[in-house]
Amino acid sequence: MNSWLLIGPVLLLLVVLLFVVYAIFFERKVIGWAQNRIGPNRVGYWGLLQTVADVLKLLFKEDVIPNKSDELLFRIAPIIAFVPSFAVLAVIPFSDSIRFSDFAIGLLYYMALSSITIIGILIGGWSSNNKYSLMGGMRSAAQMISYEIPLVMSVVGIVLSVGSLNLTEIVEAQKDVWFIVPQFVGFVVFLIAAISELNRCPFDLPEAESELVAGYHVEYSGFRFAFFMLTEYVYMFAMAALTTVLYLGGWNAPFGLTFIPPIIWFVLKFLLIVFFLFWLRATMPRLRADQLMQFSWKVLLPIALLNILLTCVLKEVPVIGAYF
Amino acid sequence: MLGLVKGLGVTLKNMTKPKVTYRYPDEPLLMPNRFRGIQHFDPEKCIVCNQCARICPTDCITLSGKKQPEKKGKVIDTYTINFETCILCDLCTEVCPTGAITMTNNYELAVYSRDELFKDLEWLNQNNTHIREEQSGNVAKRHGGKQ
Amino acid sequence: MLRTEEMLLNVGPQHPSTHGVLRLKLKIDGEIIVDAEPVIGYLHRGTEKLAEDLNYTQIIPYTDRMDYISAMTNNYAIVHAAERLMQLEIPERAEYLRVIAMELNRVASHLVWVGTYLLDLGALTPFLYCFRDREEILDLFNELCGARMTFNYMRVGGVKWDAPSGWIEKVAGFVERMKKEVKEYHNLITGNEIFIQRTKGIGIVSKSLAIEYALSGANLRVTGINWDLRKNKPYSIYDRFEFDVPVGKTGDLYDKYLCRMREIEESLRIVEQAIARFPESGPILAKVPKVLRVPEGEVYVGIESPRGELGCHIVSKGKDKPWRLKFRRPSFYNLQIIPHLLKGENISNLVAILGGIDIILGEVDC
Repeated sequence: MNSWLLIGPVLLLLVVLLFVVYAIFFERKVIGWAQNRIGPNRVGYWGLLQTVADVLKLLFKEDVIPNKSDELLFRIAPIIAFVPSFAVLAVIPFSDSIRFSDFAIGLLYYMALSSITIIGILIGGWSSNNKYSLMGGMRSAAQMISYEIPLVMSVVGIVLSVGSLNLTEIVEAQKDVWFIVPQFVGFVVFLIAAISELNRCPFDLPEAESELVAGYHVEYSGFRFAFFMLTEYVYMFAMAALTTVLYLGGWNAPFGLTFIPPIIWFVLKFLLIVFFLFWLRATMPRLRADQLMQFSWKVLLPIALLNILLTCVLKEVPVIGAYF
Repeated sequence: MLGLVKGLGVTLKNMTKPKVTYRYPDEPLLMPNRFRGIQHFDPEKCIVCNQCARICPTDCITLSGKKQPEKKGKVIDTYTINFETCILCDLCTEVCPTGAITMTNNYELAVYSRDELFKDLEWLNQNNTHIREEQSGNVAKRHGGKQ
Repeated sequence: MLRTEEMLLNVGPQHPSTHGVLRLKLKIDGEIIVDAEPVIGYLHRGTEKLAEDLNYTQIIPYTDRMDYISAMTNNYAIVHAAERLMQLEIPERAEYLRVIAMELNRVASHLVWVGTYLLDLGALTPFLYCFRDREEILDLFNELCGARMTFNYMRVGGVKWDAPSGWIEKVAGFVERMKKEVKEYHNLITGNEIFIQRTKGIGIVSKSLAIEYALSGANLRVTGINWDLRKNKPYSIYDRFEFDVPVGKTGDLYDKYLCRMREIEESLRIVEQAIARFPESGPILAKVPKVLRVPEGEVYVGIESPRGELGCHIVSKGKDKPWRLKFRRPSFYNLQIIPHLLKGENISNLVAILGGIDIILGEVDC
């Protein structure tokens, strides 16, 4: 048991890194296909080593710290951003046997920890001492804070039906019906808020290339930049896993197809969400900053609150109440 | 929401469509016959009339001729095109009365040093692949071809 | 109270969405633009001055490089002005070739605009689709005149090359395909709620303002003014074709997009008609002397380039070179409204408004 405590996280880190490397590769491929292109295909067979080469290049790059930047903050910003992104993975149950921590307030832990990243981004944007990165950081902070609220509110419906914040119990409650069915409204709100939390298209304002050049990481290069990039994709990993756990029944097999191992089911559902994110990026233009805020406070939050109310009411209705 | 879904449909449909990219550096791209690439120069045909140098909008052609004892007129001695400034506008081949200078379909002009961009008579003469077949301008007129 | 102050933000000249080397000096208060000042001239090559030292044929390749997205119309502006002064009669076949080339170029130019505009707004894919289809037009031009962007196709008195065999059929095939593609664009872009959110009601230009700032092209037409030089002051053989001039209602960015999309369709309509009536044979170059001497005089011609009224003013002293040449470049005039439009806008509308004007920096700086 004790040795697993040490090896487990290292293994997970490797899995996550592998995921990040191939998520970036796969993203480029999917977007390429959607655009009648081939995507990366020069490095390695079928381009499989493209991201590896990119990462290596970033590692070998000169470590540039702008002259007028706040050096200490500039250095620690990527770390502040990255650490919570990996830490949140601790509570996610990948299957009924593969999990790291199984404590009662798993969901709350995830939500609370993931907001720390905002501080890292804000610090990064501020310490670069660049106008574009400052605006990118500000936007990012505003966006992530305002979308955190609908994100949390949308899962309250699930918490109400399960009566627990423990993610394992939430999965087990979905043995018969996945929460995507009774909690469909909550699912939509959660998905939109999650995409926004991930700073992904169509909510990728903080790095709006056409306006802010690259957003909060304009001045970052080399390994520090790689860390911000890593943070983003680790969050994608975490968020896709969380969505699977909360709404798609985690490792539960649909239609009684239980002969396929639960971890495979988990991975399949997980990949479906990841693909959806890429697909979305290939299609959507970007929202505007103020519209983004309005959308969060005026549309998503009321819907999320309504969803809570609806769940409470339907829970008391006979027959249907069983599903809530 | 409908518009977003429609858009997603379009991108999904395109994922399975054939790719439109070229395998360019692996397979050379063949240009159509009229393509204005690097010039080919044929010293045999040149009558040193200097028209190409005069029409050139960027003054990138320099040439000199020398007297030939047994023949009338001059023969070409040096002929240089500076591809730093050449805009491949095709006017030199248009005015050439004998077709001594013609366009080819070759377009690879990247070099490591700017000096290499000065292409001399010999280089231009060696550049004899993919020479444009169709003539335009003065040569076409002389041969009575359809202009 | 916290002390707040305005921030000076330099956008460009190396910024991903200033479409080249435009520089904007913005004064911003938070994210609100207080003042904007465009700085131009980074791509100035002195085409007009150079032209005084070049004969008319030599000027044509220089005009290719002004509005490099639609070089055919630039070619036409200069040769048309010279022809007007010389009072040349242009052969029928040459006129048709010119119209087909110009209208295809208009389609290509608008495709570039739609693609880059959506890229400015953050959508990656329409850009690639537009360039995929534009590539077909460029390939057609490549076959016609041997270059993909700097065509140098038109000559005083006609065109340089006749259509190669089978070219007209290829154009007809392209027009058919393009019509279907336009529908796909509408599916992908027009109905997209985010796109509508980003463009509806933004960057509104009123009729009087558009006239005050001498806007032309789609920028003028979105305000509701029906003014297209192809219809109002017909040149070449445009009076023989049937086409509509798309006019906007509100003058906002969404209207601009719709206008340009409809202009693509109308251009395809013109090309279709031109192909149907394309003369079987005939000369493609009028009888012009070997050394072009344009008679003494002055002429101004305005033609409808994809961006607006492209004017060419020649003052000739009877030599083979113009004494003075002036281009009225639509991008340059359209750009002037930028400070007015940007004042008080959110900074995230900046690229949407700037992109909507459709400037080509090669043309602005000339």
